[in-house]
Amino acid sequence: MSGNVIRFPARLAGAEPDPPQPSSARSPRTTAPGPSGAFPVAPPGRRFLSLHLPRFAVERRIARLARRGSLLQATTPLALLAEGTHGPVVHATNPAAEAEGVHAGMRAVDARALCPALRMEEADPRGDAEALGDLALWCRRWCPWTAVDGTGIMMDATGSAHLRGGEAALLEEVEARLARLGLNARLALAPTRGAAWALARFGGARERCAPKDLPARMAPLPVRALRIGDGTALLLRRLGLGTVGDLAAVPRLSLARRFARAEPAENPLLRLDQMMGRLAEPLHCPDDPPCFLARAVLSEPVEDPTPLLPALSDQLCTMLGARGFGARRIALTIFRSDGTVARAEAATARATRDPAHLARLFDGRLDNLDPGFGFDLLTLGATVAEPLPERQPALDGRRDEGEDLAKLVDRLSARFGPRALLRPAFHESHVPERREVPVPALGPAPPVPPPAAGRPLRLFDPPEEVRVVYAVPEGPPAQFVWRRVTHRVTRFAGPERIAPEWWRDRPGTRLRDYYRVEDHEGRRYWLYREGLPDDGRGGNPRWFMQGSFG
Amino acid sequence: MPENDHQHPKRTLAEENVFAQNPRASFVELGLATCFSFLRGASDAVDLVTTAWRLGYDAIGVADRNTLAGVVRVHTEARTAQVRPVIGCRLVLLTGEEFLVYPRDRAAYGRLSRLLSKGKMQDAEGDWQAKGACDLTLDDLADHAEGVQLILVPPADLTGLPQRLRTLVRRLPTLRHLAASHLYRGEDRARINALDRMAAQAGLSILATNDVLYHVPNRRPLQDVMTCIREKVRLDEAGFLLEPNAERHLKSPAEMARLFAEWPGALRAAREVADACAFRLDELAYEYPREVIPADCTPQEYLEAVTWEGAARRYPEGVPAPVQATLGKELAMIRKLDIARYFLTIHDVIRFAREEASPPILCQGRGSAANSAVCYVLGITAVDPAAHQLLFERFISEERKEPPDIDVDFEHERREEVIQHIYKKYGRDRAGLCATVIHYRPRSAIREVGKVMGLSEDVTGALARTVWGSWGTEVGEKHVAEAGLDLSDPLLRKAVRLAGELIGMPRHLSQHVGGFILTERPLTETVPIGNGAMPDRSFIEWDKDDIDALGILKVDILALGMLTCIRKALDLVAVHHGRRLDLATVPQEDPRVYAMLAKGDSVGVFQVESRAQMNMLPRLRPRTFYDLVIEVAIVRPGPIQGDMVHPYLRRRAGTEAVEYPSPAPPHPPDELKSILGRTLGVPIFQEQAMRIAIEAARFSPAEANELRKAMATFRSKGQIGRLEEKMVGRMVERGYDEGFARRCFDQIKGFGEYGFPESHAASFALLVYVSSWLKCHHPAAFGAALLNSQPMGFYAPAQIVRDMREHGVEVRAPDVNHSDWDTTLVPDGRGSVAVRLGLRTVGGFPQAAAGRLLGARDEPFRDIPDLQRRAGLSSAWVRRLAEADAMRSLFIDRRQALWEAGGLRDAPDLPLFRETPDEGEEPAVPLPPMPLSEQVVADYQTLRLSLKAHPMAFLRRSLRAQGYVSAQDLAGTRNYQRVKLAGLVLVRQRPGSAKGVCFITLEDETGSANLVVWPKVMESFRKVVMQARLLVVEGHIQREVEIVHVVAERLVDRTDALLRLAPEGFVPALSPADEVVRPVQGSARSPQPGHPRDARIIPKSRDFH
Repeated sequence: MSGNVIRFPARLAGAEPDPPQPSSARSPRTTAPGPSGAFPVAPPGRRFLSLHLPRFAVERRIARLARRGSLLQATTPLALLAEGTHGPVVHATNPAAEAEGVHAGMRAVDARALCPALRMEEADPRGDAEALGDLALWCRRWCPWTAVDGTGIMMDATGSAHLRGGEAALLEEVEARLARLGLNARLALAPTRGAAWALARFGGARERCAPKDLPARMAPLPVRALRIGDGTALLLRRLGLGTVGDLAAVPRLSLARRFARAEPAENPLLRLDQMMGRLAEPLHCPDDPPCFLARAVLSEPVEDPTPLLPALSDQLCTMLGARGFGARRIALTIFRSDGTVARAEAATARATRDPAHLARLFDGRLDNLDPGFGFDLLTLGATVAEPLPERQPALDGRRDEGEDLAKLVDRLSARFGPRALLRPAFHESHVPERREVPVPALGPAPPVPPPAAGRPLRLFDPPEEVRVVYAVPEGPPAQFVWRRVTHRVTRFAGPERIAPEWWRDRPGTRLRDYYRVEDHEGRRYWLYREGLPDDGRGGNPRWFMQGSFG
Repeated sequence: MPENDHQHPKRTLAEENVFAQNPRASFVELGLATCFSFLRGASDAVDLVTTAWRLGYDAIGVADRNTLAGVVRVHTEARTAQVRPVIGCRLVLLTGEEFLVYPRDRAAYGRLSRLLSKGKMQDAEGDWQAKGACDLTLDDLADHAEGVQLILVPPADLTGLPQRLRTLVRRLPTLRHLAASHLYRGEDRARINALDRMAAQAGLSILATNDVLYHVPNRRPLQDVMTCIREKVRLDEAGFLLEPNAERHLKSPAEMARLFAEWPGALRAAREVADACAFRLDELAYEYPREVIPADCTPQEYLEAVTWEGAARRYPEGVPAPVQATLGKELAMIRKLDIARYFLTIHDVIRFAREEASPPILCQGRGSAANSAVCYVLGITAVDPAAHQLLFERFISEERKEPPDIDVDFEHERREEVIQHIYKKYGRDRAGLCATVIHYRPRSAIREVGKVMGLSEDVTGALARTVWGSWGTEVGEKHVAEAGLDLSDPLLRKAVRLAGELIGMPRHLSQHVGGFILTERPLTETVPIGNGAMPDRSFIEWDKDDIDALGILKVDILALGMLTCIRKALDLVAVHHGRRLDLATVPQEDPRVYAMLAKGDSVGVFQVESRAQMNMLPRLRPRTFYDLVIEVAIVRPGPIQGDMVHPYLRRRAGTEAVEYPSPAPPHPPDELKSILGRTLGVPIFQEQAMRIAIEAARFSPAEANELRKAMATFRSKGQIGRLEEKMVGRMVERGYDEGFARRCFDQIKGFGEYGFPESHAASFALLVYVSSWLKCHHPAAFGAALLNSQPMGFYAPAQIVRDMREHGVEVRAPDVNHSDWDTTLVPDGRGSVAVRLGLRTVGGFPQAAAGRLLGARDEPFRDIPDLQRRAGLSSAWVRRLAEADAMRSLFIDRRQALWEAGGLRDAPDLPLFRETPDEGEEPAVPLPPMPLSEQVVADYQTLRLSLKAHPMAFLRRSLRAQGYVSAQDLAGTRNYQRVKLAGLVLVRQRPGSAKGVCFITLEDETGSANLVVWPKVMESFRKVVMQARLLVVEGHIQREVEIVHVVAERLVDRTDALLRLAPEGFVPALSPADEVVRPVQGSARSPQPGHPRDARIIPKSRDFH
C-alpha cells in the first residue's frame, strides 16, 4: 500500500470489481490476525497454497499496454529495463524475448545487439511490488490468510478448499482466475510453506502433496527448492548434496555444525526443517485494508435508487468518520434482481465525508441506470479514501470557502465529466500565450506563477494585426493603426526579443520583438514585430497587438 | 574505407595563409565562453575564432567558467587565423558573483592559475575537492588579484548591487569595470543606464560584452539542449532555464557599436582591457627543470658529455663513423632548438629505473624517439642506429616547432614507483599528469539529445545502434533510415542534427594514462590543477595536444605488461638456470627462436600472439630480427589498406620479381631503391611512405610536415583530397605508375593516428624477440612469468597453461603445502623444472591471507584445522582453498576438504572444549565421490582453468559418433574438405580492415581451430556467433601454407551441451581479446581506452553491436 491512500484491490488490469460475497464469506475479520507460533509443530492438516508468478512484471506491463490500446503480439519480444551500474540491464522478459536469447541480467545494449526487434520498456519494480501486494489481498477471496512471499504469494488454505469443491477444484479455479487477469501462475498445495514453495517452482502443474507423502515427494527436488541462496546451493552441490533427499540423509549434527550460525536464507538445515514441518513457519498476513462499503438490502425490488441514497451516504460517512478517513472516489453499485450489475462512479477534489455532498454527486446520473425489473441490493463504497482528521472550525464560525469551491468542482465534474471543467495553470515559457495551459479542475491545485514584470494583464488571443510606421529594419514603432484608430507613440521600451520554441514551432516561425509603448493619450500597449527583414522566413515583418496595460 | 575507426577527429584550422590579419577593431569581445564551459558554451575554438576573424576582430578574449581548459585551443586557432588571443577566465564565486578576469602578464597569469588550482583542489573548508567543482571565495580572489583585470558581471536582479559594489571595489583594487550587455531583454537600455550610473558611483566604468555562448545564432538549439542536459530536464519542461532568444552569439564590432551607440565608453573599455593584456601563452614554453644538470655546465654541454660517454659504452669497439656523424648532427639540432634539458630529464628518469630502483625496473623507449641516435646511446631506446636506417627528421624537425615526443614503457606493475620518483624529485607542484578530454561521441550524443527531446529509449537506442558502420563520427541519415526510423518526423530530424553538432564537444576532463609534464616554476602557475574522481589523483587541465601546442615538456610514462613478464621470466631463469640475462644480453639471432615463430607457435609472445599475427607468421617465416620488425608492422591497417601485404609476401616467397618503381628517364631511376630496398620494394613503414612523398613527389619538408599532420589529425576531406592530388599528380608527372602512387597515398591514409613507424616497430620487435627466446628456451619460466603478470596479453590463463603443457612443461595445481603466492618453478625430480601454480590463481583468495599462510608454513600443514589454526585464516578463506582443490597434499579431495572446511569455526574454541568440538565428535559422513566432469567445472569456476581435463573431452565420444572432427584432426585435412567441428569459443573478432568478415577461434581438448565467417553467413548466424560459448560449425577447409581455416557455412549454438556438465550453468572464460564481450569501441564513458599508442597490433575492429 502506498502512502495513506487506500484503494480497493483492483489495480490489476482487467480485475473487474467483484460482486460482494454473501456477507458470511467476506466480512472483514475482527478476530486476531494470522496464525501465531503457538500452535503445535506440524499441525495436522495445514494446507499452504504457494503461487509462483514467473512473469509477473512483464505480464503486468502487457496488460497495461493493452489497456492503453496497444496490444502486444505474443511473438513480439519484450524486455523490461532497470538501471544497472553500467547502464540499463534487462530486468524481465517475455517468452518471445527469451527465445531470442534475451535473459534477465543482460546489458540492454547487448540485448539489443542480439535482437534488434526487441521492444524495451522501463521496468517498474515498485509498482510491481505494490501490485503484488494488491494481488495478495485480492486472493483473500479463496482463504482469509494470504501474504506476499518473496516474488510470489503464499496462502494458508487450511479449511478453505471444500468451499470450492475440493483442493483440485480450488487450484484450478485460482489458476483460471489468474489467467483471466493475464497472469501465468504455477501453484501447489502442500502441508508446509517450504514444501508448497518448492512444488510451485520445481513440481508439476497444480501439484498437491499430502502430509504422508511429504518426505518422499521432497527428496528428489534439487537443493535450490529449499529457498536458499545461489552460493549455498552451489556449495551443497559441490559437496555432492544435489537434492533435498541427499541433504536429509546427512546426520543433523554435521549439518548443524556447518550451518547453525548462517542466516535463514543460507541455512539448509533450517529450511529443511521448515519444509518437513519440524519447525513452525507462521505466515504473517497484513490486515485487510479498511473497507468502506455501505449497503442497502431490500426485501422487495424497487426501481428508483434515489430515495435510498441519503441513508446510504450517511452510513458510508459514519464508517469513514469512525476511522478518520474521507472519500476521494466513490462508487454506487446496483444489483438488479435479474442478476446484472450497474455502476456509477464519482470523484472529489478533496477528501470529504459530507453525506449530503456525496449524495448530490449522483444527482441526475442515476437516470441513465436502467433498473430493469428493479433491484434488491444497493452498495455505496469509497473506492479511494484518504485520512481526513477532524478539524475544528475557526473561532469566528466562518466556513472554509475553499471547501465550497471544491464541492462545486466535484458536482460540476461529476455532472459533465472531469475534462469539462478546467482551470488555468502556469507553464514556464517565454512565449506569452503559452504561459497558461488548461488543466482539469479536479486535480491538485497548480502552483501560483511568479509575477511577470513588464507584461500586460490583458492579452489578445489571437493577437491583432496592426499597421505600424517604424524605422527599417529594427526601429521601434513610431505610429500604429489599431482597430482603425491611429495611435502616435510617445514613449517606448524594448525590444524584448523572443525567439520561437524551435522544438515545437513549425519551421519558418519568426521571432518576435516586443515593445511596450505609450500613445499620445497615455494608453499603454504591448506590440510586437514578427520577424526581421533579412531573416529569410518571409517578406516584410508584420506587426501585432498582443495586449494592453491597465 | 575505414578511416580512423571510431576516433573523432579533433577539429583544427589548417595552417594555410587564407587568413589575412584584420585591421585594429574598435571593440574586443571579452565575455566569450567556449565549449569548455561545459554544457554552457556551444561552439568550439575553431568556429569562434573563424567567426571572429570573419566579423573583423583583430583580437578575441576567452573566458570559460572557472577553467582554463579551453584557452590553448583558442590560442592555437587564433594564432592560425591571425587573431590575437586574449587569455582570461570567468570566475564564479561561491557567493554568486561572476567576474571576467584578464591577467596582464605572466606573473598575473600565474596567480590566476594558482587561484583556480586552489578552488579545484580544496573546497571552501579546505577539504579534498570533488571532481569538476571549483570553490572560490572573495578572499581567495582578493589574494590573487594583483595584476589581474577584473570585470564584474552583474546579476540579473540589480537590487542591492550598489552596496555590494562598494565592498567589492574596496576588496579588489583591480576591479575597474562592470560588464554590460545588450541582449534584447526588453529593458536593456534602462539596465545599461542603471549599470552606467552604479559604475560611475563606485568609480568604475561599464564594459561592453555580448556574453557570448556560441558563434552564430543557429547554435541556439544546441545551447538549449546543453542547458537541458546540464539541468537534467526535458526541453518542454525547461521553461525559463532556456534563453528567450538567440542573441548570445558573437556579434561584429560594428554591430556592437550600433548597440552601444549611446555608451561609446563601454566599447573603449573592452578595447583597453584587451590591450593591457600583454600575456601570451607562448611564454609558458620551455621552462624545463634544471635539477638534472650539474651547476657548472650548460645543459647542452652536459648532454654532449653524457652522449659521448653513452656512445662509448654502447660501442665498446669504437663508435662507428656514421653513428658519430649522426650524433653530431642530432646534437647540433638539439642545440639549435635548445631542448637539451628535455633529453636530460628523460635520461634521469631512465637512470632512476635502471640504477636506483631495486630491483631495476625494465624500461624501453618507443615511438619516434627510436629514430634518434642520441636516445639510443643514452639508453632510452634500443634500436641501434648503426644497424637501422633512422629518420631523425621524424623525431625532431625545425618545421614542427614542437618538442620531441619520447614515450617510455615501464613494467606495468612498477610504473607507480617511477611516477612516485618523479613526484618526489620534482615535487607535486612541479610535476603533474595531463588530462584527457572526454568528448561526446555519437552514441552518447544521440542518447543525451534524445532524452532531452523526449524521444523514447527505443528510438534513441535504435538511433545509437545505427552508429556502427558510420565509423563513429556522425549519425548518418542513411543509417537512420536503415534503422526503420522516419526522418520526415521533424523532431527526429532535429535530434539527429543536434546530435551531430554535439558530437566532438568536450564533456569533461579525465586523467591521462601516463603523460607527465614537468616545469621549472610551480606547475600551478602554469596551468590549473584539478582533482580526479579517484582519491589522491590530480591532473592538469590541458590534454597532450594542448601541451604539444605550447611546447611544454612532456614525457609519457607508460605501462607495458610484457616488460613485467620479461623481467619475471628473466628472474626465474636466473634462479633456476643460473643464467643472469637482460634485454641486451639475450642471445641474438637464435635460429631455434625463428623456427618456432615460423610455425606460428607464439602463444604468449609479445605482439605476434594474436590470431592475425599467428596466421601471418608461417607466411612470412621470419629468419632475422628485421623480419620481426616487418612482422610487427605489416599486420596493420596501413599496409593492409595500401594493399602492400600480398606483394611483399609474394616477393619474399620469390614468386614475384623484386622491382622498384622508378620515374621517367630524366630522373634518377633508382631513387626509391634506397628507401624501399630493405622491404623488397614494397613500402611498409610510415617513414617509407613519407620519404616517397619527399623523394618521388618532391614534397618540401614543410609540405611533408603538413601531410604528416593532416594524416595524424584527419582533417577535412578536402584537405586530404588536395594533398592526394598533389602527391599523386607530382609522382605521375615524374613518371611513376599512377596505381603505385595511389597505393602509397592510401597507405599513408591508413596509418592515421595509429601510424607504425619503423623505429617503433623495431622497439617492439626487440620485445618480440626476447619474449620468443624465453618461450623457446625456457617455456616453464616464461609461462610462469606470464601467469604472474596477468591480466595481460591476448590469452586467458587456461590457454597459457595449455600451451605450456603442449610444450612438455609439467604444470601442477595450486596446493597449500607447495604453492607460493606467485606461480613458481619447482624441481620436477627428473632434473628439470615443473610449474607450480600459485595461490594467486585461486579465485577470491587475497594476497594478505596467502602471506599469513606462507609465513606459518615452516613445516607442512597436517590437516585442515592445523592449517586454519597455524595460519590464522578465517573459515571463508579456508573454504576458498578447499573449493579450488588446493588440499591434495593433505590427502583429501575437493569435496572432502570442502566438507571439513565447512565445519570450521572462526571464534577460538573455549579452552575447556579445545580437544573436542563442542557438538561432540562428528560422525563420518559418506559423501559421494565427485565425478571428473564436475571437478573440471569446479576447477574452471575457481581457477579459470583445469589441469584435470578439458570440458570438451567429456563430449568427445558423442561428437566422434556423430562424425565431428577435433582441432587436431584439421592438420590432416585436404583443401576444400568438408568438416564438422565443435569447440569452446575463445575469441570472436571482426577487424575493421576485413570488410565485415568475422574470425572465430574455437578450442577443444586437442587444440584450437580458426573459423572464417563471411559476412553473408554472419548475417544468417549472427545470433549464434554472438551468443554461443560452445559452437558447432559445418564448413570446408581452406589451407594456405601451414595455416588451416575452417570456412563456416552453418553454425549452431550448442551451449546447452555444457549444461549437461554443470546443470547450474558453466561459462568458460573467453580470451581478453574477444570483441563481443569487450567491444573495441569502448563504452560511452571511456571513448579512448588507454593511450592511443598502447599500440594494438591488430587493426581496430568494428563493433559487433
